[in-house]
Amino acid sequence: MSQSLRPYLTAVRYSLEAALTLTNFPSQEVERHNRPEIEVPNTSAELLLQPMHIARSETEQVLIEPSVNSVRVSLMVKQADEIEQILVHKFTMFLEQRAEAFYILRRVPVKGYSISFLITNKHTESMKTAKLVDFIIEFMEEVDKEISEMKLFLNARARFVANEYLGEFVY
Amino acid sequence: MLHLQPNNLLIQKTLAEASEALQAGAPLTFDRIISDFDYTNFHVSNTNENRTQLFLSVRTKAWQSILECDGGAQGVLPYLAAKYTRLPGVTVATPCEAGFDYTLAIDLEQLAPETVQQLSLLKTNIMSFPFHLAFQEFVTLSAANPTTTTVQVGKFNEETGNVSSYDVSKTLYTIQYRDNENMFIKPSNDRITVIFETFFQDETDKVFGKVFLQEFVDARKRNRDIQSAPQVLFSTEPPLELQGHLPQGNEIADEASKRFITFVLFPRHFANDELQFKTVAQLTLFRNYFHYHIKCSKAYMHSRMRYRVDTFVKVLNRAKVDEDEDEAKETKRTITGRKMVY
Amino acid sequence: MSYLNNPAVVMDNGTGLTKLGFAGNDSPSWIFPTAIATSQGNSTASKKTTGASSGATSGTGSGNPYFGNSTSATSFNNLNSNMLLSNNLAGKRGTEDLDFYIGNEALIASQGPSYSLSYPIKHGQVENWDHMERFWENSIFKYLRTEPEDHYFLLTEPPLNPPENREQVAEIFFESFNCAGLYIAVQAVLALAASWTSSKVTDRSLTGTVIDSGDGVTHVIPVAEGFVIGSAIKNIPIAGRDITLFIQQLLRERGEADTSLRTAERIKQEYCYVCPDIVKEFNKFDQNPDKFAQFIVENQEKTQKKVVDVGYERFLAPEIFFNPEIASSDFLTPLPITVDHTIQACPIDVRKALYHNIVLSGGSTMFKDFGRRLQRDLKSIVNNRIAQSEMLSGTKSTGVDVSVITHRKQRNAVWFGGSLLAQTAEFKSYCHTKQDYDEYGPEIVRNFSLFNMV
Repeated sequence: MSQSLRPYLTAVRYSLEAALTLTNFPSQEVERHNRPEIEVPNTSAELLLQPMHIARSETEQVLIEPSVNSVRVSLMVKQADEIEQILVHKFTMFLEQRAEAFYILRRVPVKGYSISFLITNKHTESMKTAKLVDFIIEFMEEVDKEISEMKLFLNARARFVANEYLGEFVY
Repeated sequence: MLHLQPNNLLIQKTLAEASEALQAGAPLTFDRIISDFDYTNFHVSNTNENRTQLFLSVRTKAWQSILECDGGAQGVLPYLAAKYTRLPGVTVATPCEAGFDYTLAIDLEQLAPETVQQLSLLKTNIMSFPFHLAFQEFVTLSAANPTTTTVQVGKFNEETGNVSSYDVSKTLYTIQYRDNENMFIKPSNDRITVIFETFFQDETDKVFGKVFLQEFVDARKRNRDIQSAPQVLFSTEPPLELQGHLPQGNEIADEASKRFITFVLFPRHFANDELQFKTVAQLTLFRNYFHYHIKCSKAYMHSRMRYRVDTFVKVLNRAKVDEDEDEAKETKRTITGRKMVY
Repeated sequence: MSYLNNPAVVMDNGTGLTKLGFAGNDSPSWIFPTAIATSQGNSTASKKTTGASSGATSGTGSGNPYFGNSTSATSFNNLNSNMLLSNNLAGKRGTEDLDFYIGNEALIASQGPSYSLSYPIKHGQVENWDHMERFWENSIFKYLRTEPEDHYFLLTEPPLNPPENREQVAEIFFESFNCAGLYIAVQAVLALAASWTSSKVTDRSLTGTVIDSGDGVTHVIPVAEGFVIGSAIKNIPIAGRDITLFIQQLLRERGEADTSLRTAERIKQEYCYVCPDIVKEFNKFDQNPDKFAQFIVENQEKTQKKVVDVGYERFLAPEIFFNPEIASSDFLTPLPITVDHTIQACPIDVRKALYHNIVLSGGSTMFKDFGRRLQRDLKSIVNNRIAQSEMLSGTKSTGVDVSVITHRKQRNAVWFGGSLLAQTAEFKSYCHTKQDYDEYGPEIVRNFSLFNMV
C-alpha cells in the first residue's frame, strides 16, 4: 500500500463515521412521507449538512453529503488511462446492475463520480454503522485492486494470444 | 478453445449426416443454411428426385473483390475448379445457384473423407486465391531482381518506411471481406505484405483491440521462439503501401477509429504449398481470431466481476444486525437444542 | 446493411439438451447436451494431450462424437476419448478460462481426470452464469462459426423466468459478444408457433395449451394471445427419464441380458407406443406373440451380441403419463386430468380456445398415438362435465371442442418455432439492437413486443 493511501482512507473513515449519525425524520413537506432528504430538492436548508470532499489526487476523490436522515457517498475511482476508464465504467455498470443485492448502492452515480452509495437511517438501523464504514473502505481498496488486476489480465491475455497466433507461423 | 480452425465443422457434420443416411438406405432431403465468419453463408441442398447428389453453394462478402482482384480475369473460377474437381464425385455446377456465388455438386456415393475435409475448407480456399496470385507474382519478381537482404531481417524491422527502395509490384490485391474492413496483399521481390484494415464499432472493443494489437506488434520482439514469425506493424495512418490505393468511398467511415495491421511475410512462410496453405488459413482468420479473444476476455472479466460482486455482498451482509443472534441470548434451550416455549 | 443476408441464429438452451441452428432451417444444426467440462484448477499433474489431430477429424464414419445429434443429455453414445480434439491448453497458466469443452466433447473430456462436468442450466433456468457465458462463447465461435456482431439472435427462456435473468442474458450477449440484435422468446409460445406446420391448424393464433415434456419434467402451460398465464402453469414430475428408468426396472425384474440405461433408452425410442386400453393390449400380446420384439445390443467392438426381449413395456412405459400409479408412488394425477385442471384455472373466456388447441412439444411426447389417447381421455372428462352441468342447469351447452395437435416437428418444436419466427422479415424489427442496449441499458429486454403473425 502506497504512502498516501493510508491517510486518505483514514480520513474517509473518520468522515464517514462522523457523517453516519442518522435519525428517523419524516418529511416536512409531504404528510406521511419519509424520504432521504439528501435526494430531494430541499427547501429547508437546515436538514442538509456541509458536504465533505476528500481528495487524494485529481482522479481519486470522495464526496460525502450528509443530511439529517441520509448520507450520500460518491467515489471517484482512479482512472489513469483509457483502458482503466473502460474497465471502471464496465465494473461500476455491472455493480449498479445488481444494486438490489447491495442495499446501499445507488443505481446512478452522482454526476462526475464513478459510483455512489446512499445510506439512510433505515440502513443504519438494520446494519451496524461501523461495519458499513468498513464495507465502504474495503470497497475502495478492492476496486482499485480489481481494476489493476483486470488491466494486468488484459495485457497478459493479449500477449499470450499474440504469441500463440504468431507461433503458428513458426515452421 | 484457443485457435479457430480453418475448417467448418458444420459442413463436415452435414455431409457426414447425408452420406450416412444414404448408406443406411434412407437418403434425406436437404435444404440447410450454414454460416461462417465474415458474411459467408453456405447452402446445402438437394432435389427430391436425386438425393445422391448434394449441392453446396457459397455466398461470401469477399467474392466480388476476389473475382476482380486479377484485373477482371475471374481467375478464381478455374482456380477453385482445379482444386475441387480433382476430388472424386465433385463437379462445379454451372450456373451456380441463384443468390449464391459458387456452387459445387457432390456425388454422395463417392464421398471420401478427404473430400469432406476439402469442402469444409471452401471458404478458406476462396480467400486463398489472391494470396495464390501474390505468391506467383512474388516468384516472378524475385527472379527478376534477386535479393540477398532476406537474411537481414532485423535490420529493416524498424524502418519499414523505405520500402520504396525495393522492387515492389504495382498490383495491390484487395479483399473486401467486411463492410468497413479490407485486406490488402502486396507482393514485392523479397516479401509479401498483408495489410488488414480494422474497425471497431464498440467503444470497449476499440480500447481492448488496441491493447491486443499492440501485443501482436511486440510479441515478436519479446519472444525469441517466434523470431521467425512474420513481422507485425501497427499504425493508425494508412501504410505507404496503400497510398493511392484505398478504395474510393471508404472515407465516409470513421477514419479516426481505423487502424492498420501489417504482416510482413518472408519467403520462408510460403516456401511450399503446405506452408502457403497454413499461412493463408491463419491470416484469413486473423480478424476473427482476435475479435474472438477480445470477447473471451470480456467473458472472463464478467466472471471476475461476478465473483467480486459475491464477495462485496458477503462483506455487506456482515454489517447486518443478526436478529436471531440477539434472540438466541434470551431464549433458553433444552439440552437437545429445542427452544423453551413459555 | 449486410445484416440482411445473414440468417438469424436460433438457440434453445434446455436443461438437458441445447439446440443450435439458423433461422430458416427445418432442424437444428447442432443438438448436444447443455454440459460444460471445465479444467480443474490445479490439475497440472496430468498434462495429457489427447489425440493431437487438431482440426483434422476427417472421416464420414459413424460414431464421431461431433456428427451425431444427441437425443439424451446424459448418454455417452459410444464416445471414445481419443476422438477429442485437443485444445492445447492443458496446464498453461492464466488461460484456464479458455480450457473447457462443451456438449458431447464435454462428456468425453469429463471421463479424463482433469476436467469436471457440470450442467449450467437447472430446471430450465441458468444457474451458473460463468459457465453459461462460456458455453455460449464456444457455441457461437466453434460450432456455429458466426461473428455475433453480424447476426441477430433468438434465445428462449422458460415460462416465469425472472426479468433479472433476461437482463443477465442481455448483458452477456450485448457486452461480451456485441451481438447485432437479440430477441428472447418464451419456449411455450415458440412451441405454439411450431404447430402451425400441422395441417390441422387453420388459424395462426398464439392461444393454446402447450404440453412440453422433455427429459426432466413435464410442463402444462396455457398461453393466451402470446402471453403465458403464469398462475395456471402445472408441472408433472414425470418425463422422459422416468420412462427410461421404468423400462430399466422392468428389464431388471425380468432378468434380461442387458439392463443398462442406454438399452432402456433405445427401447423407449424405438419400440414404445401408447395403447388405447391396457387390459385389451395385454390380451392382444397374449394372443399375438408377434407383438413381442427383440432388441439386440452390440458392444463397442461389435463382437458380442446380447439379445434383450421387449415385452409389455412397449405400451406400459408411456402409460405412466396416463396411470402414474404404475411407476410412481407420490405423484398420482394422470396427465389428462392435469391438463383439464390447468385449463380450468384459466380465465373463462379463453378456456374454449385452450381446449381447442393443445400442442405437444418435446421428445417425450413423440410416442405413437400419444396425442390421440390424450385427446380421447380429455374429451371424456370435458363431456362428463358438460353433461353434468346440462343436467343441473337444464340448458343445452354448445359443446367444447377438444383437439390435441401433433406434428412432425414435435421433438424440437421450440427450436423450430424459433426458426419459423426468426426467418420472417419482421423479426428484426422486434429485436432489441446493440444501439438500443447502449442507449437504454439492460432493462430494455424486460419487454419484447409479441409477434402477431396473421
